[in-house]
Amino acid sequence: MEYDENGVSIVPFEFKKEIFEEARKDFRYEEYVRGCLNCGVCTGGCPPHRFFDFSPRIVLQNMKSKDPELIWTMMDEYIWACFQCFTCAMICPFLNNPGGVIAILREIAVRRGFESAKKVLKPYSRVLLKLTAYGNQLSPDMIQPDFFPDWGPHIGYASTDLPTKRKAIPMPTLQVTNLAWDVAPETMKELYDIFDEAGVFKIIESVDPSLYEIIQDIVDDVRSS
Amino acid sequence: MAENILVIGGGPAGMQSATLLADLGVNVSLVERDSYLGGNPKKFKYKFLFPDMQPADNVIGELIRKTETNSNIKIYYSSEVSDFKENGKKFDVTIKSPNGNETKTFDSVIVATGFEHFDPARDAKYSYQLFDDVIDIKDLERMFGEGNVNRPSNGQPPKNVAFILCVGSRDRHVGNQYCSRVCCTVSVKQAIELREHFPDCEVYIFYMDIRTYGFFEDLYWEAMEEHDVQIVKGRVAEITSGPNNTVICKGEDTLLRGPFEIPFDMVVLASGMEGGPQSPEMAKKLGLELDEHGFLKPQNVTLAPFKSNKKGVFLAGACTGPKAISDSITEGGAAAMDAYVYAMKNK
Repeated sequence: MEYDENGVSIVPFEFKKEIFEEARKDFRYEEYVRGCLNCGVCTGGCPPHRFFDFSPRIVLQNMKSKDPELIWTMMDEYIWACFQCFTCAMICPFLNNPGGVIAILREIAVRRGFESAKKVLKPYSRVLLKLTAYGNQLSPDMIQPDFFPDWGPHIGYASTDLPTKRKAIPMPTLQVTNLAWDVAPETMKELYDIFDEAGVFKIIESVDPSLYEIIQDIVDDVRSS
Repeated sequence: MAENILVIGGGPAGMQSATLLADLGVNVSLVERDSYLGGNPKKFKYKFLFPDMQPADNVIGELIRKTETNSNIKIYYSSEVSDFKENGKKFDVTIKSPNGNETKTFDSVIVATGFEHFDPARDAKYSYQLFDDVIDIKDLERMFGEGNVNRPSNGQPPKNVAFILCVGSRDRHVGNQYCSRVCCTVSVKQAIELREHFPDCEVYIFYMDIRTYGFFEDLYWEAMEEHDVQIVKGRVAEITSGPNNTVICKGEDTLLRGPFEIPFDMVVLASGMEGGPQSPEMAKKLGLELDEHGFLKPQNVTLAPFKSNKKGVFLAGACTGPKAISDSITEGGAAAMDAYVYAMKNK
């Protein structure tokens, strides 16, 4: 990667064009990008628009401009501001789907292992690890103040004395803190097959190579058991 | 023997056709589904008509008087065409009226069954019928006609009012991709009327495009320059309830302010026009073609706009698409000519 005098990476126009072409060739593109009259309904109804400099109208307009430069400007931060709630798609009077365009662009960023994708997906590596190791998404021991600051000021208290608190839950639990439920090895193997077929492992490899190595060891263990 | 021509629909177009044909000495039968003539303008008590703000009664009232007093016109009120058969180049038509059924042979037929106002309740984001202070342009027109334009919720004069354009038009979600042509001008007209009625009331118009085509544009400039109507580019995404009995319009000002949430005392939805249930009904009964928008389809939109696909059946007014009253009256005359020529040729 080349950098200019301000330390900003220089991306060749040809590469930006390639990214745009990849988005345009997506099988969903024609369905998601139709006529747009800049009415602003999508942005008016967009939840993140209230908090960030993010506008689904701009996403769609940039896409319709067919200008690789404009599309490239969204790849770094812009596409990650979307909540993927698809309110825009629901309310667009012309049946455009700006949220869908975001999904296409995000998938490109993930497939190609862009820095922005790595950064955004970093907090999920623990979830992915838990999922591939135990078939659970979240378990009590994952509640730690460092990882869930958005859970509020009580997260520190909530993460202490987990075994005791777990026992206090008035419904059957496994009485452990590293699992929410038990998953049979057969189910895990099926999950790995699905991950293989859907290209999930490939994606993990491109966004988090060290996590991929750990996960591969676990997968091999389960598969050979 | 004089020609017999059937006119279906007693709105502006139908009345114009009927009176012109009657003046030529034709025996006209005019079938009207309501118990009165005048169509939607009469039904919803339109008060003043754009572009020159003349009283609707000068136009619609005058047409009604001319139609009702012409001895060559037989008006069937609260009636419908119950049976329609081709008979050579003529038509055997049964008219069902409160006085029973009557079958007559007509030389030609004019369909002028008009339009229906889009029902904004069909588009949930506007909360029409949920909040009393969310009304539409036909409601406001009726309120002007009845002389009371205060807020429906509490009877107080509104301090600010929003007009929202393109309700039920240019919207694929509700199935109407077309522009209804007149709602922009009606809204601008009503904005001016509101500003004149309540000089302290702020009036906003939220638009995607303002289509005050042709000379109607004069009214648009007048609204901006003489009446200080605020015109904001951005379609409203949602209407919710606000503090102090207000309704909040939420959307994006795409040119200036970005996202907005403004509480209003009253919101007026510029609901558009639809072919209504009468268009497919006519298509079925008379064997006419419907277009993809739910209106009756002319044989050739440029060359033969008043001819239907069926020889001897002619179309006039808003049954072929959204139209201003002046256009409907023009078409009523033009279709009358077509229908008369057909009747004369096949005498």
